[in-house]
Order: sequence, then structure tokens, then C-alpha cells
Amino acid sequence: MTVGDQEHKASEIDDVYQTEFVSAFEGDVPAGTRTPSALRHRLRTAGPAIAAFILVLALWEGLTRLFDVKTFVLARPSLILERFILTSDVVWSAGFNTLFEAGIGLVAGTILGVGVAFVTIRWAPVREGLMPFAVAANSVPIIALAPIANGMFSLTSPVSKIAVVTVVVFFPVMINSARGLIEVDEDELELMRSYAAKPREIMWRVRVPHALPYFFSAMKVVAVLSIIAAIIAEYFGGSQDVLGQYILTKASLFVYADAWAGILVASILGVTLYAIVLVAERLIMPWHVSFRASDAT
Amino acid sequence: MSQLVVDAHSVGKVFGKGEGRVEALRDISMQIEAGEFVSLIGPSGCGKSTLLRLVGDLTTPTSGEIEINGKPPRRARLDRDYGIVFQKATLLDWRTVRKNVELPLEIMDVDDRAKIADEMLSLVQLGDFGDHYPWQLSGGMQQRVAIARALTFNPSLLLMDEPFGALDEMTRELMQQEVLRIWHETDTTVVFVTHSIPEAVFLSTRVVVMSPRPGRISDVVETNLPQPRDEDTREAQAYYDKITEVREALRRQEARA
Repeated sequence: MTVGDQEHKASEIDDVYQTEFVSAFEGDVPAGTRTPSALRHRLRTAGPAIAAFILVLALWEGLTRLFDVKTFVLARPSLILERFILTSDVVWSAGFNTLFEAGIGLVAGTILGVGVAFVTIRWAPVREGLMPFAVAANSVPIIALAPIANGMFSLTSPVSKIAVVTVVVFFPVMINSARGLIEVDEDELELMRSYAAKPREIMWRVRVPHALPYFFSAMKVVAVLSIIAAIIAEYFGGSQDVLGQYILTKASLFVYADAWAGILVASILGVTLYAIVLVAERLIMPWHVSFRASDAT
Repeated sequence: MSQLVVDAHSVGKVFGKGEGRVEALRDISMQIEAGEFVSLIGPSGCGKSTLLRLVGDLTTPTSGEIEINGKPPRRARLDRDYGIVFQKATLLDWRTVRKNVELPLEIMDVDDRAKIADEMLSLVQLGDFGDHYPWQLSGGMQQRVAIARALTFNPSLLLMDEPFGALDEMTRELMQQEVLRIWHETDTTVVFVTHSIPEAVFLSTRVVVMSPRPGRISDVVETNLPQPRDEDTREAQAYYDKITEVREALRRQEARA
């Protein structure tokens, strides 16, 4: 895989991320009316995006050369690529440490979020007591807690970063999952009632499948958010061999191309996590409206 | 005398309390015998859907008593005496048509589910569509799947709440024909809510006419049209006479109000 590919994906994901982010946080329902998108169709529509990306890179490279833009203002893509290759040992080592923190936090936050979502469904008082706070907490920039988490846990251990990621991941996953479990069509519940179905059967046969699109909608957001949260938490101190510190240090030493190489690694990690969620989504809910082929009868 | 499937005595239903109190049904008494096809018809707010829901134990009466097959509605529900079809097909998106039809059987832990589901799909003439997903079917086909699903476990009572209300007129007439055929083939008792007078007359052995505020039964019209009914029935004089009779029954309550 070339750097161009990776960066291109990063920019493509950025767009998706923006829209997903907005929908998940403003309480929109998951994409339900997307037009059919076969693989061929996707390849065809990817053409303009690839062209635009190459154009932007070329402009970036050309203009920075033409006007002799200083590296501390904006590094040239070719220089970033060069530094990315030359420093790959160090920058990937930092990257994997950051990925470790983000990954553990992502898994922990997801498990907690889904777990609490189930509890809120089972016991209505818990839901009524908890949800207003959860929604409020979700609109707070939790990332601002990062310096405090560093105080709560040992500054140098990854635990403080994992804790920040966990909290950041927890709220969107919990709120979306709970909403998906609750907002089930009343007719579906009444049908299950007419079959004298037990609550457990209603949960597994109706509520859980219904919540999956909501859950994945949140996962797409938090997959990327987990890397962001880990890096910001790292900015506030701790181990040096992580992306946040790497980028911070390089920037403060005026080695901007190296800092950019760190950002590139962060992008690759974010895109990879996002792609894993996309694949899982396709495997787990192939029936969903967003995957339908265009040859409907 | 044949066996009573539905036996309601002075049933009343009140929603809410105090200022917001709404009396949905007052003093409803109704007996439905096994094998009957009874339609409930009336203007919006006459409580016809509420009455259907009371029969199906989806809600409970405030006063009076209902017995289903000689049992309280709750018992009847736990015994799986009801097959229910709503206006919306309410199929689960993530299941194929066959798996949707199998759903009640899974919950009831019945064996040979696929075989029964395929039989039911043939009954509603969708034998070739078992592996399709609901979104691949038209509205009428989806509603037929819902009917197949309601019949899989041989319920003694089929409750239908405006099942064809969302369909176009042509599909609607086909579905009416279909439902009559199924009714003949399965010997189920049907309670059918509608606000279409021709539909009620065409389908039913008896039309229960209801009036609003509070909902009560104002008339009962025996249709007495010959069985089986088909397209010729729709052009018969007796059919028009019965439509007129039901219409006049509905008008009379307007005059009274």
C-alpha cells in the first residue's frame, strides 16, 4: 500500500466521519434510506474522489515549492513521505503504543456501554434516572478531562489514557445502543406478546437485531474517536513513546515533517479501526438497508 | 348450537382519569361462534380497534367480562389462541420471508418449522418467495406473509386490524378474495376491523356496526350472502342491498348524534 492510498483513504474517511459524527450525536437514526451501492458502483464513484485527492496533493506540493513555504508553516507531501519512511521504526513504535491504549479503551468502553444499555432496558427506573445524565455527559467535551485522568491514575502508565478513551467511547455506544433497544415498533412488541413470548425472547429476537444499526452507527464514530482521545490524553504527559508525545516533541523541536509523519500514522490507525467496524457491520447485519443491491423486485 | 369463540358481556373501556378521561367503549356485548367471519365497522373513534385489542388481550377491559373459548383472554393468549394481523405487515427486516413466518413457531418451540412455513407460504401463494427479504416484496405480498405468519400455529381466532387499509384498491380486492379462500380452507374464526362498508359486507357473515363517543354496538347486520363469495358476488343485487343496509345503519347513528 502506498502512502497516497493511505492518505486518500484518510481523507475519504474524514468525510464519512463528519456525517456519522453529526448523526450519532444529534440523535439521528442510522442511515435508512441510502441508495443501493454495489461494489461496481462504488468503484465508479470513487474515481472523482481519487482524482480530487491527487489534485490536492499536487497543488499542495506545487504551491509549497513555488512560494517556498517554510516547513513550519506547511510541510511538503514529498518531505512528509520521506520522513515517514526514514523514521518508520520510531514513529510506528509510538503508533502501536497509542493503538494499544486506544484499542483497550475502545473494547472496554464498548463492553461497558452495551452492558449499561442492556441494564437500562431491563430496569426502567435505571433508564429514567440515568439517561438524562448520559445525554448531558455526551454533550460535554469529555476529552477535557484528560489532564485530570492523568492525576487520577499514574501519569506514566497507559491506564490514564485508556481511562480517557473508555469514557469517550462509553457514552455514544451506551446512548445509541439503548435507543436502538428501546425504539422498537410497538406492533412488533404486540405480535411477540400475542405469541406469549418471554422477555428474553423479545430481547434477542426483536430488540437486539433492531439495535444493531444504532450500535454500528456509534461504533463508526468511536473507532476514530478512540485514536483522537488517546493522542490528546498523551499530549498532557506520560510515556514518551506514544504518538501524542512524538508529535508534540517533534513540533516543539521544529522538526515539522516528522510531526506530520506522526499525524500520518495516526490517520492510518484511525482508518484501520474504522474499516474493521465496516467489515464487522457487513458480516453481522448483511440484511441492512445500506447494503441492499439495486435489483430489488 | 356451535361453540362460542368470543363471549363479551357488558364490556367497558376507559382510558385515563379525571379531566383527560375518555370512555372508549360502553356496554359491549357480543357473541361470536366458531367459524364465523365478523367485521367491526364504524367511524373513527368508535373503539373498533380497542374492542379487537380487548379480545386479543393486548389491553384489558375496565368493566365487564370477556371469554375466549371459555377462558379469560390472558389464558387464551398464553394458550396461543390468537393470530394477529395489523395494518402494517410488521415483518422483521433481518429475517427472510420464511424465517419471518417461522418466528411464532420458534417461540412456541415447534418442530418442522421450515416445512410448516413453506406450507403456509403456499397457502398465501408465496411459495417461491421464502428466501426473499421483506423489502423485496410489494405491500400486498408483505401483508400475505403477515397472514401466513399469523396462521402457522393454527390459532382458533384470527384478529385482523384494518389489514388492507394501506393497499391500493385492486390489491385490496385480490387480498379480500385471498382471505376468504384461506378462511374456507382453515376453518378459523375471524374478527376483522375495517372502515370500508363494501369490504365488510363482502367478507363477513356478520357486520357489527359501532358508533362513537362512547363506542358501542349500534346495529348488527347478517349478510346472508351465499358462500363461497367471488367476483360475481360483487355484482349481485343482494350484495348492494347489504351495503345499503350497513350504510343506513351508520347514517342512523349520525342522525341520533
